[in-house]
Amino acid sequence: MTLFSVSDLSIQIDNKPLLDSISFDVSEGDYLCILGQNGAGKSTLLKSLMGITPVNSGRITIDKCPFKAFSQKQLARTVSYVGQRPPAIDMIVSDFIRLGRYPHHDAFAVWSKSDQSAFDSAVVLTDIDAFLNRHCATLSGGEFQRVQIAAALCQQARLLLLDEPTSSLDPHHQGEVHALIQQLNQAHHITIIEVTHDLNHAIQHSRHILALKSGKTLWYGDSDALLAAPILSQLYDHPFVTLTHPETNQLIALSSEITR
Amino acid sequence: MNDAKRNLSLIGFLTLVIVVITPYLGLSEHLAPGVERQIFWDIRLPRLLLAFIVGAGLSICGLVFQAMFHNPLATPFTLGVASGASLGAALSVFFGVSFSVFGFSSTSLFAFLGALITIRFVYSISTLNKGFSLHTLLLTGVAISFFFSSLILLIQYLNDMPDAYRLIRWLMGNLAIVGYDTIWPLLPFVLLTVAVVFYLSNELNLLTTGDEMALSRGVNVTQIRSILFFVTSLCIGAIVASCGPIGFVGMMVPHICRLLIGQNHRWLVPASCLFGGSFLIVCDTIARLIIAPAEIPVGVITTLLGGPFFLWLLIRARAPIS
Repeated sequence: MTLFSVSDLSIQIDNKPLLDSISFDVSEGDYLCILGQNGAGKSTLLKSLMGITPVNSGRITIDKCPFKAFSQKQLARTVSYVGQRPPAIDMIVSDFIRLGRYPHHDAFAVWSKSDQSAFDSAVVLTDIDAFLNRHCATLSGGEFQRVQIAAALCQQARLLLLDEPTSSLDPHHQGEVHALIQQLNQAHHITIIEVTHDLNHAIQHSRHILALKSGKTLWYGDSDALLAAPILSQLYDHPFVTLTHPETNQLIALSSEITR
Repeated sequence: MNDAKRNLSLIGFLTLVIVVITPYLGLSEHLAPGVERQIFWDIRLPRLLLAFIVGAGLSICGLVFQAMFHNPLATPFTLGVASGASLGAALSVFFGVSFSVFGFSSTSLFAFLGALITIRFVYSISTLNKGFSLHTLLLTGVAISFFFSSLILLIQYLNDMPDAYRLIRWLMGNLAIVGYDTIWPLLPFVLLTVAVVFYLSNELNLLTTGDEMALSRGVNVTQIRSILFFVTSLCIGAIVASCGPIGFVGMMVPHICRLLIGQNHRWLVPASCLFGGSFLIVCDTIARLIIAPAEIPVGVITTLLGGPFFLWLLIRARAPIS
């Protein structure tokens, strides 16, 4: 079933086109990766789906209801978002995660059983029990990324938007976060849209890929068909070679030398 | 959480002590019993109430601004909102505008408009270039403050001597009142502001984490910000119109409360009210006693305390948040 449908989405800021007639569908349980160069409009697209960046034209529907019919609070019950640049959060980790329950609360709501169970499962899934009582500012990059995902999970939204969740992490912590996203998608049926620069991660783990170039769709299709389509060099303006992984026998892409 | 509750009760208790003790300070023993009583009921008590209401109102507005702009230096005073209110009030006096709407004076209305226009203007300047910039916000606030101060000086210069003197005294911030007439028109604005801000505690908690984060958790940031701009302008306008700009209370009190209570506005709002109210009572008592029988305007005391506090905050902030 189609959860999110985007058609002919365009965004301009100060008459500068950032996105130009983007269309795609995300069905329930899907995992879509958005690829593209820096400045291709990936983050803008993600932000527009969270209502952070206003859309100039086009149509977004959630469960066939028009996007504009959702209040920000209703939207946050369906969509959650983990941004790229984590702000300085002056809070204890557990207090920060609790804020994720905001869209389910009215002004004087008391912390209920369902709030606690959402909190507990977010904490268990992301395995952050050990630093619940620490201050956010004292966490390492990998720890804080998991805390951010936990806070978004606490929202219990069906769609999770992730903007480069692993780009500032070392290979070990990247792997950890990738595994977490996989688990959320497969075991917990959370629909995922992820912006990433990690080509092979996108090819191996996601189901669909949307490749953006200068605000336009360059390619959109099943993830395992990406390498068969000769678009990688065009997508990044950079040469790539494909080869077979010696252990898994899967096709992987490798960035090759720039020849001058 | 328990620390927050304990410190809030402590603040409540201290407030009670201050409210009970300060009106008796400086009451001379060799007055006739009747006179003493009159001084207590007609001078001390209204002044105490006024100081409490003004202190609470200023602190709440400071708390809101610090949360919205994620920085302890961003307050109605540093952003020029109080100067805008002062200019509005000064203009209404200068042009001799005098009417009242539902019992609220034209001076309050002008001060309110001055405050609201200023914060709208300063905020829109800070968002001109690719999203919000804290540095632009603070610098615009400073520039606007200077600009408005010059305009107020000009108004003073153009006024005749007695009016100019009154204006100068008023600009220093003063709580010296007799009777309750100043309090009644002020109270509803401060109460309304405190109630609205308390109602929006959850939203304020989220706004401290940044606009993008607040939006992604479901806060309608634009709408909430408009509401907060409106009620804080009402509050600042009403306070400035009746007591003049009393500086730095709105910066010191909420910041100290954050250190004591943490970041939950459900507790911070009552704590800032109580702390701010009792803080201004103490400042006013000092202002009244330090060169007794003469008095200094309370604004002089708060600014003398606030200047060094501002510097301390600047030095303490290791990395500027941008």
